[in-house]
Amino acid sequence: MNFLLHAFWAPLTETYFQKALIGGCAVALVSGAVGSLVVLRRMAFLGDALSHAMIAGVAGGYLAMKLLFGVEAYAPAMLLGSLIAAIITVALIGVVSKVSRVKEDTVIGIMYTGVFALGVVVVSIFRQYIHIDLMHFIMGDILGVADTDLWASAIVSASVLTILVLFFRHFQLASFDPIMAASTGLPVLVLDYALTGCVSMVVVSAVSMVGVILVVGLLITPAATAYLLSDRLDKMMALASLFGVTSVIGGLYLCVWLDSAGGGAVMLFCTLQFLAVLAVAPRYGLLARWRRLRNMIPQQVVEDVLITVLRQQKETPLKVLQQFVQVPQPGTLWKAVKQMESEGLIEALPQGYRLTGVGEKQAANVLRAHRLWESYLASIGTPEDAVHPTAHRLEHIHGAGIVDYLDQKLGQPEVDPHGQKIPRRGNGARKKPAGNEPEEQ
Amino acid sequence: MNNGKGTPAIEVRHLTVSYGARPALLDVSVRIEKDQLVGVIGPNGSGKSTLIKAILGFEKPDVGEILIGGEDVQKAKGKVAYVPQRGAVDWDFPITVREVALMGRYQHVPWYRSPSAADREAALEALSMVRMSDFAERQIGQLSGGQQQRVFLARALAQGSDILLLDEPFAGVDAATERAILDVLERAKAAGKTLVVVHHDLATAAEYFDNLVLLKQRLYAFGPPAAVLQEELLSQVYEGRLRVFTDLMAKEGGR
Ligand SMILES: Nc1ncnc2c1ncn2[C@@H]1O[C@H](COP(=O)(O)OP(=O)(O)OP(=O)(O)O)[C@@H](O)[C@H]1O
Ligand SMILES: [Mg+2]
Repeated sequence: MNFLLHAFWAPLTETYFQKALIGGCAVALVSGAVGSLVVLRRMAFLGDALSHAMIAGVAGGYLAMKLLFGVEAYAPAMLLGSLIAAIITVALIGVVSKVSRVKEDTVIGIMYTGVFALGVVVVSIFRQYIHIDLMHFIMGDILGVADTDLWASAIVSASVLTILVLFFRHFQLASFDPIMAASTGLPVLVLDYALTGCVSMVVVSAVSMVGVILVVGLLITPAATAYLLSDRLDKMMALASLFGVTSVIGGLYLCVWLDSAGGGAVMLFCTLQFLAVLAVAPRYGLLARWRRLRNMIPQQVVEDVLITVLRQQKETPLKVLQQFVQVPQPGTLWKAVKQMESEGLIEALPQGYRLTGVGEKQAANVLRAHRLWESYLASIGTPEDAVHPTAHRLEHIHGAGIVDYLDQKLGQPEVDPHGQKIPRRGNGARKKPAGNEPEEQ
Repeated sequence: MNNGKGTPAIEVRHLTVSYGARPALLDVSVRIEKDQLVGVIGPNGSGKSTLIKAILGFEKPDVGEILIGGEDVQKAKGKVAYVPQRGAVDWDFPITVREVALMGRYQHVPWYRSPSAADREAALEALSMVRMSDFAERQIGQLSGGQQQRVFLARALAQGSDILLLDEPFAGVDAATERAILDVLERAKAAGKTLVVVHHDLATAAEYFDNLVLLKQRLYAFGPPAAVLQEELLSQVYEGRLRVFTDLMAKEGGR
């Protein structure tokens, strides 16, 4: 107990930890919210680009202040420089991908590595004048957050969050349906730039903490985690912010306990969190998916039940069904019957199951498929004893057009090879016009 | 009725729209009167969606102009509502049926306010018009194709515009849903709306629409179905798939 208290409480008394916590949470809060839009609009790569482009801006800002005013490492200038670099990069990307046939993702890759390289070269050429620790820049230093960085991230966080809240509807509409947004007079282009601007500001304020390489993770991982859990954008943004904050808190403790790199620990925690949610998310998670697949009742079983009941011509008890219907697993038949009952294909009576009107129509369609397949098999010279079992397998292939094709080809026979009547096409299915891909409902 | 007189609902004059060097539409002129249900037909890639987007003011013309109620499209924002083609929507977007319908009201809500109770009411009403109120809390990806179409139709109705553009609302829906959607369209028309509908099924085109636009980059025909659904025209436009349509024309003739 005492040990636990110590593990959690002791770091909180340290100033560096407090600062890291405050700065980290401020950045995570806003990067989750803005990251949700980044994820939905597939701009992740752009986020990465913006963070890399920064270094040129930082170097430029540093150099300008130093040469013009003799001030060392003036933070606001470097911040402004980063933003300018980000904007120039975005503009370059926009222009080049518009005027050339090179696709946008490639252009992003070209431009940001180019600008990043420019930054690296400038920093190394002017190493006597500007003292930028490239390693610090690339890896970040959340445990050494300076007060200026803290202020910067607080201001960025507050202003970007305000913009997102005020214009939530506009961003929602422009992201979901830009065509409609434009048709109602929303300035879609301005919104795009505003969002890019917000992303740049967030990226710039986050780089000092988690570094260039990891910043895109902080932007998209909490958002993607929230995406797995939400069916509404506002909820997704709120959850993403929450996941960002938990990553920062969890990651910082991890880093203190393990004595590891700060930014790395935060992102590691963030990724593990994503994987955990991916596994257990109620609707979009892997576990749920696996369970759905397991519970899925093969269409074949449903059709076999239908046709068995139809052939019995009377209420059919489960025992008879068990005899005629083959199932992959023991419980499947019971589940199938329950599901068919709820879908209104069959109804349960004391003596057994009976087909409803809808069920009868579907059963007739399957029977028609079965008997037409039999006729077809007989017509192509399949040995007599193989006709029925093969048709039994083939009867489940009765998608739109296939059975009709057989019917046409065989000259619309009235009876099958055993002399049994072939039911006419049920009026449940509509004849699709030619040239239109029939789509499953 | 305004028989060609008065201001048409939509007037497209010498419209050319291109993506890069290749024009998707070339010198298209149509004049769509008020209170009409107009079908747009043409093969894949013939520029139907482009025409819709141009009338929405989304694709800017290279040449030509589009007037909505006598006013240039770029100034007539929000007067035209539209139902997108199925493939153009991100069905995984975290948004519920209710929110999509509410989007139709956004243009009436000033930016500093939230949608009012009346707006929410109007959105719900639009949903019940297309019989989708029971699904209000569903995420849009968890609906069948026909239900998805109806949600977007509700959004367009909630906008309250006099002109509705629908891009293939009947694609991949069953006969019952097609009927249901058509009912809503006809009611909208009766309520004084002008509807432009991209349609793929030539067999039903004559039955559904007052006028047809036959497109393939250029305007091949515009007028009443009987005039547009001519074998010669269709075989020109749908080259190589002629046989299907000869069957169809035989059927049409036998009606
Ligand atoms: N954003 C775009 N960029 C480049 N070319 C495009 C773009 N959108 C459409 N096109 C091209 O313009 C032409 C017309 O496209 P459009 O989408 O209007 O066709 P459509 O008639 O709606 O086809 P469909 O029946 O398949 O929906 C096509 O050749 C298409 O390849
Ligand atoms: Mg189209």
